[in-house]
Amino acid sequence: MTTRPSVLSSALRVFDFSLGQMLWSRRSVFLALLVGAPVLLAVVVRIFAAAGWLPVLNGAQVGGPALFGVLMWLLFVRFVVPVLGVFYGTSLMADEVDDKTITYLFTRPVPRASVLLGKYLAYLACVVMLLLPAIVIIYFLVVPVGGSIGQGFPLLAADLGMVAVGVAAYGAVFAFVGAWLKRPLIVGLVFAFGWEQTVLLIPGYLKRLTVAYYLQALVPHAMPQESALSMLMTAFQDLPAVWVSLVCLTGITLLALWMGGKAVENREFILEQ
Amino acid sequence: MTAGTDVVVSAEHVSKWYGQVIGLNDVILKVPAGITGLLGPNGAGKSTLMKLITGQLKPSKGVLTVLGEPIWHNAPIFSRIGFCPEQDAFYERMTGLEWVTALVGLNGQGETASREMAARALETVGLSDVSGKRIAAYSKGMRQRVKLAQAIAHDPELLILDEPLSGMDPLVRRRIIRLIKEWGRAGKSILVSSHILHEIESMTPNIVLINQGRILAEGNVHQIRDLIDEHPHTVYVKADDTRELARRFLTDDHVLSLRFEEGAVVVQTGRPDIFYTRLTDLAASGELGTIHEVTSPDDNLQAVFQYLVKA
Repeated sequence: MTTRPSVLSSALRVFDFSLGQMLWSRRSVFLALLVGAPVLLAVVVRIFAAAGWLPVLNGAQVGGPALFGVLMWLLFVRFVVPVLGVFYGTSLMADEVDDKTITYLFTRPVPRASVLLGKYLAYLACVVMLLLPAIVIIYFLVVPVGGSIGQGFPLLAADLGMVAVGVAAYGAVFAFVGAWLKRPLIVGLVFAFGWEQTVLLIPGYLKRLTVAYYLQALVPHAMPQESALSMLMTAFQDLPAVWVSLVCLTGITLLALWMGGKAVENREFILEQ
Repeated sequence: MTAGTDVVVSAEHVSKWYGQVIGLNDVILKVPAGITGLLGPNGAGKSTLMKLITGQLKPSKGVLTVLGEPIWHNAPIFSRIGFCPEQDAFYERMTGLEWVTALVGLNGQGETASREMAARALETVGLSDVSGKRIAAYSKGMRQRVKLAQAIAHDPELLILDEPLSGMDPLVRRRIIRLIKEWGRAGKSILVSSHILHEIESMTPNIVLINQGRILAEGNVHQIRDLIDEHPHTVYVKADDTRELARRFLTDDHVLSLRFEEGAVVVQTGRPDIFYTRLTDLAASGELGTIHEVTSPDDNLQAVFQYLVKA
């Protein structure tokens, strides 16, 4: 029998092949809009701040660093990162199946799992390349409003790391869902915005079956108390240590990728005629 | 090809179900080296068989080997196989050269080697001049050819071509048929599917007939013709005295049915060899006047195919 090529080297070839496709896809336009909106918001905040109007939260004026923290918590951790994970992750295989181009990848001497892994790496590169610079821009626009760029720099680094880890974990989980199920998007959305949001409010161990639980522990900012829901969440908060979160998120990512790879290896992708 | 064997694809009692629907039913098949045509109408099971042979689907039952190895879960074997799928699907934003280069790259070639192999393949299919254009701007014929280019670029031993001539104009069609024959002469094994008999006939005498998920017949075109001789055979005889001709044949055991058409009688016989001998004798005797025309739609390969498909 011919020698089996390694999953990693094959995945890198698929990555090369997929990155350009992904960067110029319609999904990247969606991603640009998704990360462009907060940047635009930051520009507006900066303009208003220059005119002497500071943003108000819970009746009190907040400075740039606090506002940046709110954006990270409410917008990126709770919304942008899971949304990107769902939309990109579930589509890694589904797009190839819908476009009927998967045939070209599955009739090459590369292990099927490497197709998923390569496309996942392309997703990671694509999202990180677009998302992290947007966060940096927001930081430079918002934090100087009543704060110091230099002092907040370690927090920015932590934020960037946290977002990257979140993108990796959510992407892997939804890549598995996409490889496993025929119609993965609904399941992905239910998981990210139904299961995760609900379970985080319930005391007990169930929240450990979410990505958000571990991701929250990595957020370097205090959770904003702008709503009853947030206060409720804070009350039930028993965040794990940072190192525990990192280990668990790494474990979730690797496990999801392994299961996704297995699903791709064993599943028949029947193209509609 | 695997040493010591000249069978490139072997299916032993292979069946494929899609839920309750049977895609392929207990197929026993040995595809020899060289060019083999897979013939069948749309929905006959050709694409299912092609997908099984290219490891995209797993047989529900039976054993399928390609180049002497199982194909399901056997990624390395694809370095020896080139596949041109039926579907008109591409990464539309890429140019022809970029696309073929990227796919050859998946075969483990370096960037430079991949580009050279891709350029060579595009030249072979006559797309050199448009290799820098986006695939989205290609005509249907060009799209078919660029699919062929990605299949041949890595110089595989076995080419599997699913409806490769679909959408091509007559000149390009002729060119591709010539190329397929050249590849066959160069020692490649080629399995090519089509629902148009004369396309296949122009490439190879070795055919496999498939319909409703079953293999109806396989072998040389002449063997297929022999096979048809074992089945009821329709002959159209245009003669001066069709009534007398019919009366003479009516008593023969091998004649299954008779019907009159304008100036002719159409005979269905179970033993065409005996029928033709007797008809020749009658014509030679001159008893029935002149026999103007003897034709059998079954002599045409298309009719053989249709006949077997209906059988």
